[in-house]
Amino acid sequence: MNTNKYSTISLNRNPSKFLSIFAKNWAAFFLLILIVVFSFTGQRFFHLANFQNIVHLSTIYLLLSSAETFVIITGGIDLSVGFVMGLSSVLSATIMQRLYAANYSPVWSILIGCIITLIVCIIPGFISGVLITKYKVPPFIATLGVGGIANGITLLMCGGFPVAFLPPYLTEIGNGYLIYVLPGKAFSFFNRPEGIFGEEVKDLIRIIPNSFIFIFIILIILWHVLRNTRFGKHNYAIGGNMDASVRAGININKHLMTVYVLAAFLSGVAGVFNVFQTGIGNYTPFSAMYELLAIAGVIIGGASLMGGKGGIIGSVIGVILISVIENGLHLSGVDPFYRFIAVGLVLIIAVVIDQSFPDLL
Amino acid sequence: MEKMIIEKNGIRGFFMQLGNKWAIIFLLLEFTIFSFAIPGFFSFNGIQVLLINSPFILLLGLAETFVIISGGIDLSVGFIMGFASVVSAKLIAVFVELGINDLFSIIIGIIATLIIGTIPGLVNGILIGRLKVPAFIATFSMLGITHGISELLIEGSYAKNVPPLAGAIGNGSLINIVPGKTVSFFISPAVQRGEQLIEILPNMFVIPFIIIVVFAFILKRTKFGKHTYAIGGNVDAAIKAGINVKNHITKIYMLSSLFSTIAGILYMLRFVTGKADAGLVFLLDAIVAVVIGGASLYGGIGTVWKTLTGCFIILVLEMGLRMFGVPTFYKLIVVGIILIFAVLIDQFFPELIHKED
Repeated sequence: MNTNKYSTISLNRNPSKFLSIFAKNWAAFFLLILIVVFSFTGQRFFHLANFQNIVHLSTIYLLLSSAETFVIITGGIDLSVGFVMGLSSVLSATIMQRLYAANYSPVWSILIGCIITLIVCIIPGFISGVLITKYKVPPFIATLGVGGIANGITLLMCGGFPVAFLPPYLTEIGNGYLIYVLPGKAFSFFNRPEGIFGEEVKDLIRIIPNSFIFIFIILIILWHVLRNTRFGKHNYAIGGNMDASVRAGININKHLMTVYVLAAFLSGVAGVFNVFQTGIGNYTPFSAMYELLAIAGVIIGGASLMGGKGGIIGSVIGVILISVIENGLHLSGVDPFYRFIAVGLVLIIAVVIDQSFPDLL
Repeated sequence: MEKMIIEKNGIRGFFMQLGNKWAIIFLLLEFTIFSFAIPGFFSFNGIQVLLINSPFILLLGLAETFVIISGGIDLSVGFIMGFASVVSAKLIAVFVELGINDLFSIIIGIIATLIIGTIPGLVNGILIGRLKVPAFIATFSMLGITHGISELLIEGSYAKNVPPLAGAIGNGSLINIVPGKTVSFFISPAVQRGEQLIEILPNMFVIPFIIIVVFAFILKRTKFGKHTYAIGGNVDAAIKAGINVKNHITKIYMLSSLFSTIAGILYMLRFVTGKADAGLVFLLDAIVAVVIGGASLYGGIGTVWKTLTGCFIILVLEMGLRMFGVPTFYKLIVVGIILIFAVLIDQFFPELIHKED
């Protein structure tokens, strides 16, 4: 059989090695290029403080995106993450507020609030999971419905206003840094060194936000789970070829159930963290579109909505890319509305590149 | 195509019929309950208000019906609607400033907007049909892009200087009667103090309704409609049958964009302004209405009339809860439950889905 014809075609279609590496990691390259460009155009972009800020502000999106990563790799989609996050934020804030008002110590009210909320937040994921696995409802619809219900409950709980009057220490933990250095004078962990006022506060160098440590630990765990464990392997298998994984003896229903519960749990963590960062319980407004931005991050990071592709590192790069675009455009003095357009364009580029080099990715 | 036979007799047959028609039964039930529970709900004015609030969800629902039947999804309809409201308001203001009279500037502005409004759909269609970008991603990008452009056009506020004539059209009715004096069409006559004005069929309902009737016909009876079902049902088969799928998908997304544009223009006419996030709240409602109406996100199933039922389930619910004095937050919960219920019914009676049409 003459295979020559086919081999030349595949040769011609195979781009050079450099191009293939570029196409595989274009998001990372693009991120680097953006950082270089913004360093020139943006005032105070290239600063330790600003980079820490970018990570700090994208914590929530990192959590939601890693939740979506698991779901999207299985070939599903979760439109409820943003609203589950809102539910978690308002619920935990309400519990903390009530307990603190009932004279519990701040530490206990915060702890109890967080634990109860994280348990409650599993419920929406459980319901989505049952609908998707047992009743074969398409994930899009199941999570859309569950998200709407979660949002309604959230708004009923808070009446459409943020929940305030929370115990102290919340924002100090959420917005604190690991190390504080006042060059040549003071040095401390977790808390600002005492006795610093006025001009000196400006010179205080803050290193490594608490949120960074927190998100780093979670991401490492998730990365390990997805890459090195059987659970992760099954995740890719289900997304890649459902029938084959059924034949390989994977309990698909149980697995998908776990994945949607995990996604809801991570969204719950994001909501609790939102309370720590802002000091109030925030419901999710319709215009926030958390879930869509989280999905955008995952797709830019190289995942496919068809399933079977993607990873935590890619998603992290995707989310950071979006954050850097927003932050950089802002610091460069560009009208903030350009960022909607920019994110849209990057997303299209991502998928077109993905389509152009199907054999490489 | 071979039609599936459905049992019509016996208990199961009864439930099948019930399951098949559940949306319309639910709508009637909902309407009856609200009519009895709320004074003034089932009245001339009550229904008038219901119709006045309907155009945006109806048009976006129509857009989603075509897209979802073809097996795709369009997330950009809400912001294309906002984009169109901003563009039309801006254009009309510009024309008025140039010294063209109000009526002509409104007409030219609307025609220009209808043309500009199909561009996002064209881009969506090319991305989805030719470059094989997943519909979810392509239309989400277009959502961001149209949102950004419209915010830039109005600099984060809202479009101003639209002539009041636009509002007169937008808030007028098809038939306006001042008892014993005049009858006028489309624009309400000037009313003296103490005179009563009877308005029948608001323009806000008449315009989308005409469009819906036309496109319900197109979807059901023409080749265009048949091809839409064919592509949604089985793309490979459609290609083998010689349908130009790429072109057809492009057309469908342009159509969806056009309907959203009309919704945006109606928004401008009614509120005499343009807002970037005008259609934000209607996006999910529209998708939900289509799914409640029995369409499948996998494509190939659904009709315009069923979408209409879905739209009115949401509209009646929203208005009923509002007149009850219940926080509208309950609407989110109830709609979520109905949505899941709708899909579950399809799952329990899979034979139903392939019937009809």
